Amino acid sequence: MSPLTLGVLYGIVTLVVMFSGMPIAFALGVVATGFMYFFMPSASLDTITQNVYEEMASITLLSIPLFILKGAAIGKSPAGRDLYSAIHAWLHKVPGGLGIANVFACAMFAAMAGSSPATCSAIGSAGIPEMRRRGYSPGFAAGIIAAGGTLGILLPPSITMILYAVAAEQSLGRLFLAGIGPGILLVTLFSGYAVYRARREYAVAYQAYQQSGTASAYLEKEHFTLAQKVEMLPRVLPFVILLIGVMVALYGGYATPSETAGLGALLAMALIAIVYGVWRPKDISPFITSTIKESTMLLFIIGMSLLYSYVMSYLHISQSAAQWVVDLHLSKWMLLTVILLMVVVFGFFLPPVSIILMMCPIILPPLKVAGFDLIWFGVVMTIVMEMGLIHPPVGLNIFVIKNIAPDIPLKDIVWGVMPFLLLMLLAVILLCVFPHIATAFPDALMGVK
Amino acid sequence: MSHGFEVTAPKGSPAPDNPMIARLAKVLEWLNKAIVRLSMVAMLLTAFILTYSVVTRYLFKVPTDWQDEASVFMLISVTFFSAAYVQSYRGHIGIEVLSSILPPAVNRFRLLLVDIISATFCLFFSWKSWTLFHEAWVDGQTTSSTFAPPLWIPYAMMAAGMTLLSLQIVIQVFAAITNKRETA
Repeated sequence: MSPLTLGVLYGIVTLVVMFSGMPIAFALGVVATGFMYFFMPSASLDTITQNVYEEMASITLLSIPLFILKGAAIGKSPAGRDLYSAIHAWLHKVPGGLGIANVFACAMFAAMAGSSPATCSAIGSAGIPEMRRRGYSPGFAAGIIAAGGTLGILLPPSITMILYAVAAEQSLGRLFLAGIGPGILLVTLFSGYAVYRARREYAVAYQAYQQSGTASAYLEKEHFTLAQKVEMLPRVLPFVILLIGVMVALYGGYATPSETAGLGALLAMALIAIVYGVWRPKDISPFITSTIKESTMLLFIIGMSLLYSYVMSYLHISQSAAQWVVDLHLSKWMLLTVILLMVVVFGFFLPPVSIILMMCPIILPPLKVAGFDLIWFGVVMTIVMEMGLIHPPVGLNIFVIKNIAPDIPLKDIVWGVMPFLLLMLLAVILLCVFPHIATAFPDALMGVK
Repeated sequence: MSHGFEVTAPKGSPAPDNPMIARLAKVLEWLNKAIVRLSMVAMLLTAFILTYSVVTRYLFKVPTDWQDEASVFMLISVTFFSAAYVQSYRGHIGIEVLSSILPPAVNRFRLLLVDIISATFCLFFSWKSWTLFHEAWVDGQTTSSTFAPPLWIPYAMMAAGMTLLSLQIVIQVFAAITNKRETA
């Protein structure tokens, strides 16, 4: 059997086993082991556990649980709410400032917690009621939070990026830095849209008031004294310092990414202990337990995905599939479009971790041949996978929002998210036209590759 | 991304009807709880070790050699040992489209089949992990670093964790077989 036929068989069997409802981790392991049994020398079955161990025993991969711990510690504290209130108090005079405050709060929280759903729930539970109280339409309010939350996997430290760095053998520090420019671009696009939409909704409310005297929450003025504004800072500043401190530790060359994860987790726990008095075992055990649950599930999928791609490479499936793609002689941008569409389709069924580990061995060689910078592609792929977080059928963030604001109909949330999806698509296109948005920052800080 | 799957409420399996299986499930539940407590400590300890490594290197100029490997061993242990706990409430995510399409009887059979295959795989993996552990123990294998800790430690953790995970799935399979059908 040619490697390509074998590859097709491998793909079909994987699909069948996964759709049977078997947990993704076991499904990948079962398929990989099965193909080892039938198509590889029998000795390879003896080293299967060694393979999994050697792939997993990487300190970079194992920084994931600690980054999750750091995010969970901050996520389970009222830090999100306080951060949001403070930004809102300082920005409320700006037209559409409430929307901007929400986008900013999401971005900052995302950078601290590194998790999209956690960001949605932390900022959204304070931000959505406030926006609705101020007259924002429910769909719009939900859209801002759902989209703002996705910044969690683009801004460092992003777990998705850690995996991409491992799979693509790229520098994690460089990749993290490359996410910052596009992150700022998205924050700007989201804020710009929020201002535009808020002004339009304001104009409609104002017109209604002029014509029929219907009062709207939009038209009420809100005021914070300087004392009130300053009062909010002490609770927020420590977290901003944590954010900056972690960045300095990582990029100042003081700590490796895994050390940064450990340091960040400890600092985050120390901060919530000092600022919010969360330190008793009964206070901290819930979020450590949820960290263990989540990281175990993720690392199992990662370990088995690595075994899966090992078999794929041993049987020359990835190499022939990559060669096949190269031989199609697609134009550079056609190739990128096809690959990104595949990422979108896989995103319907699989979490980003398995998409990266299963697809990278096949898609990266053709992209390299076509002359794409793999750091740049990592950022583009991340944004595309972020889009998967807010569009059906999976749209994890949509469900988080449904959870915190159950009275907003799902239809409104989905429609509210659409403009933001388009903005993200726009960001991808801008990144294609101006790749420097991603690469300029790491090039300036770490030298041109 | 990925993370934050906790939004989907964990669906625990109902208590098994068969007294023998129920007792076994209870023991395993107790064991899993104890392991999660230990894992919490291990995770905090890892964060401390890594922080300690940064501090000693920059403040006292002491080079670090053992921290990374100690962390790897610790987190590998946490991952493999907690796998059974995650399985106990079926927290390993899968694609669940079929469960909403198939009629309940067929669905029960599908779930049973999936569990049996998963258990077989995990048992096979446990067996191979134990042989790996045995080799590392007999040959005195160590990692290739200057610190060179023995490899049997993480291998043993992996083997024991996978065995526990297999046991957890096997109990779930037996519970599904022996449980009386709920009268709908």
